Amino acid sequence: MSKMSSVKRSMLTAVCIGLCVVLPMAFHSIPNAGSILLPMHIPVLLCGLICGWSFGLLCGLAGPLLSSLLTGMPPMAYLPSMLVELAAYGLVCGLMINLVHTKKLYADLYISLVVALIAGRIVAGVARALIFAAGRYSMAAWITSYFVTSWPGLVIQLIFIPAIVVALMKARLIPERYPVR
Amino acid sequence: MRSLPTGQYLPGHSFLHQLDARVKILGLFLLMAAVIGASSVQGYVLVLMVVAICIQLSRLPLRCVFASVRRVCWFLLVIWLMNALFFAAEDALFSWGIFQLSRGGMRQGFRVVSNVVLILLLGNLLTMTTLPTQVTTALESLIKPLKLIGVPTEEVAMIISVAIQFIPTLMEEAELIKMAQIARGARFESKKLAERAASFLPLVVPIFISAFRRAEELALAMEARGYRNAKNRTKRKKEPLERHDYGALAVCALICLVQFLLR
Repeated sequence: MSKMSSVKRSMLTAVCIGLCVVLPMAFHSIPNAGSILLPMHIPVLLCGLICGWSFGLLCGLAGPLLSSLLTGMPPMAYLPSMLVELAAYGLVCGLMINLVHTKKLYADLYISLVVALIAGRIVAGVARALIFAAGRYSMAAWITSYFVTSWPGLVIQLIFIPAIVVALMKARLIPERYPVR
Repeated sequence: MRSLPTGQYLPGHSFLHQLDARVKILGLFLLMAAVIGASSVQGYVLVLMVVAICIQLSRLPLRCVFASVRRVCWFLLVIWLMNALFFAAEDALFSWGIFQLSRGGMRQGFRVVSNVVLILLLGNLLTMTTLPTQVTTALESLIKPLKLIGVPTEEVAMIISVAIQFIPTLMEEAELIKMAQIARGARFESKKLAERAASFLPLVVPIFISAFRRAEELALAMEARGYRNAKNRTKRKKEPLERHDYGALAVCALICLVQFLLR
């Protein structure tokens, strides 16, 4: 996934940022879809995996910002904590996929994804506890909002993201990670 | 899905429409700081008056400005109730099991909810009076200092502007894929929530494939035309800030300062 030109990475990042706006809108007929199914997380995690940490970080920052500016989702008041969370996902996902090379595509993807999902939640929780809701945030609230309410979203991410990466490789839209010689 | 739900740009010739987007973004941050910094009754009266004046200056229909607040009103009620019933205070008016209704809790709930509503309204005013392209250009200009720490600001701005241009295309594509899934028996309008949620999942992979195909085509077209990076691009025109822009910025800074003096 490292053989893409800078222009192609930029365009893929642009598309992922666009999807950060479009996917939550596609899901918006389902009540509370944003906090349960986490549709905005999918393009950010994919961007980190495919384009690398710097582009993943940009997607994590620009995606929710643009979505909030254009559609009002997430509301401005929740935007800062969401920016931190998604930026951490994109950054850690991109760093991990560069670090992990097990020679098995699915193992690389799952290790990167799981580490990013845990790291992002920890970073977001720490940011809320220390900055955005200082003194008013508890461990119980963190576990409820990041693991209990959003478990369907977590399952969707773990099933769909590796499947999308493989589908994109099969469609030759991104280079193979371990090409068959 | 065809129209943006709230916060969509509404054309107009009001004072807010004519302000420079850079000033509006900086002003939004200053006023957000003033809202977050409000801790007394006078402080809240001040920010309430400022938001009311801004709404008046935007000359937007009130129904549109308050649409996003209406959408989250149940959510705001839950936030207020949670603060009112769970806030640990000694002046409990009523207690039942783990619930403790207190004056302190009600005040805290009111503060949280009013902060969210005011920031929501200010954010709405920015997006409803500023074109997305103006927001991008303003962001490019505002993030320029990040160049000093090696951030490729031109490339970032280019990516964001391409992303904005992609949004209508991606929405159309998503709508087409949705129609195709309905033809195959998907039940997007089902009354059962789980069934409705499950029907959305087959949309995800095709949307990504078609979006990435478009990105690939655009990247190829750009490379074929000799595009390498955004660093050497030039601007057709530079728009300096006018007197009313400086005035508006100074007023926002003054409001922020007064708010912190009132604390």
